[in-house]
Amino acid sequence: MNPARKPSTALRDPAWLRLPLLAIALLFVGLFLVLPLVAVFTYAFEKGVDFYLASLVDEDARAAIRLTLLVTAISVPANTVFGVAAAWLITRFTFSGKNLLVSLIDLPFAVSPVIAGLIYVLLFGAQGWLGPWLSENDIKIIYAVPGIVLATTFVTFPFVARELIPLMQAQGSEQEQAALTLGAGGWSMFWRVTLPKIGWGLVYGVILCNARAIGEFGAVSVVSGHIRGLTNTMPLHVEILYNEYNRTAAFAVASLLALIALVTLVLKQVAEWRMRRATPDHDIA
Amino acid sequence: MSIELSGIHYRYAETIALRGIDLSIESGELLALLGPSGCGKTTLLRVIAGLEFPDRGMVRFEGRDLTLVSARKRHVGFVFQHYALFNHLTVFENVAFGLRVRGWRLRPKRADLERRVGELLELVQLGELAKRYPAQLSGGQRQRVALARALAVEPEILLLDEPFGALDARVRGDLRRWLRGLHDRIHVTSVFVTHDQEEAFELADRIAVMNEGRIEQLADPQTLYTQPASPFVCRFLGEVNEIPAALHTRWTGARDAGAIAFVRPHDLDLVADSSGDARVDEVRDLGAVVRVEASHPALAVPLIAIHERGRFDESGLRRGDRVAISARRWVVFRADGTPV
Repeated sequence: MNPARKPSTALRDPAWLRLPLLAIALLFVGLFLVLPLVAVFTYAFEKGVDFYLASLVDEDARAAIRLTLLVTAISVPANTVFGVAAAWLITRFTFSGKNLLVSLIDLPFAVSPVIAGLIYVLLFGAQGWLGPWLSENDIKIIYAVPGIVLATTFVTFPFVARELIPLMQAQGSEQEQAALTLGAGGWSMFWRVTLPKIGWGLVYGVILCNARAIGEFGAVSVVSGHIRGLTNTMPLHVEILYNEYNRTAAFAVASLLALIALVTLVLKQVAEWRMRRATPDHDIA
Repeated sequence: MSIELSGIHYRYAETIALRGIDLSIESGELLALLGPSGCGKTTLLRVIAGLEFPDRGMVRFEGRDLTLVSARKRHVGFVFQHYALFNHLTVFENVAFGLRVRGWRLRPKRADLERRVGELLELVQLGELAKRYPAQLSGGQRQRVALARALAVEPEILLLDEPFGALDARVRGDLRRWLRGLHDRIHVTSVFVTHDQEEAFELADRIAVMNEGRIEQLADPQTLYTQPASPFVCRFLGEVNEIPAALHTRWTGARDAGAIAFVRPHDLDLVADSSGDARVDEVRDLGAVVRVEASHPALAVPLIAIHERGRFDESGLRRGDRVAISARRWVVFRADGTPV
């Protein structure tokens, strides 16, 4: 390990400053993160394990879980392919409008998810631009599964690309150039050199993208129409149960989401750790 | 395989990197592109490799026009300055890469591939390290892996970008001699880029000295040293004293007051002489040689002389001594930079 990477002892603060800072940080983490997490599981199990399991195998709950998995299974791979392609384009080529493209990729981060949902309603809804044509051809997008997939894909659009662009910029393209002089074509260059190079960064981006796709509420809420058993994803299902004063069932489903979040955190940590290991220091010699 | 470059121009967005390069490199030759940073030498190497395409001009190998042919199809071995090894692959797989990405009809059989990679690793003396990853190797070892990887595709041209730049002085010297030996054995046409004149002199058959996108002089090391074509070449090839001189041409009576005589420090003699105009300002013992600085009332900058230890001990010079100065060899350039 490079000693310069560790915080220097010269920068260590005195105890009277260190301990209160530590206490404040821990207090915040406890109050805003740990306590709610404990609360979710406490409420979920307040009527016992049987009720908990019953809430999860309830027909509407199962439909919501199935829909969430379906939406994730479509939007995450789509955004992975898009993210890799966009990062490749942006880091390997110079073209006019490149900065605009980079800004556009960030758009879903800047726009409120509710607005994102509304955009799709205005485009594909009954009163929207494409509404008449869609209803003539009997294609349903809003208040149906395609709308939910579209909204989720929009919101989770930037994660993979955002993760890869700085990574690929830092890595440069020398290895690809070496592969080129050795006779590799574009395809084998990508599979044998670029993909292994960005591997863990890609995994990291996909994990974040996946977490957001499962948990997305705002945009999906606008386009879903809340049809039980048909267009309710897990977060929407939680909201409905809660509004119906079915608190324990709501928290049971919510606990499932919390569990997914915890697993995501662990995977993210592993990916980060592997990514650091896969980037060797240049100056070991 | 011979390389002919004619009229190569290349510009990056704002800066012109190459301004009309003409260069022919003979088959089997070891040529150095020598110059300060930013002189365009690396760009020129990349143009030969097909990693950059010139704005104007032509690149030919053995008479075949390859100006617009991709690096992929040029069949050139390229060793990158920072090696660009594939970090996720073992040494063996790094070397095997060029063979594995061949079309299935040209791809060697497994046993052939293993034999071939094994031979190359023996050639670069890394047989033991086949299973290591690049991160586990020293700089000199990585350099040799990069070389073996480039040679695996049996290129007829080998291009090396600052091949020893990232290595410490001792490893650099060893590797330099080893590379010269290797070139004498396999006789592949080789071009390497360097900013270190000592490296160029030790390795190359011929040296192209570059400055600001042009080739100032192309010659063998001895000619370069004894008959430099321009003041730039003279200055770049090592420390030199520049003494203002007036030229007087006997036949025409023409005078040139702006001429400069260039004298190498080891061609300058200092002899103790109590009636001499010059005075010794400084004596620095550098081990094998001793460096003496002397000032002369007629010159703005002190003159530098380098004497071998034995000769210096005999002369017994010390700081403050008055000396007479004479030069054994010099080159004179006119004010317009042309040699006399």
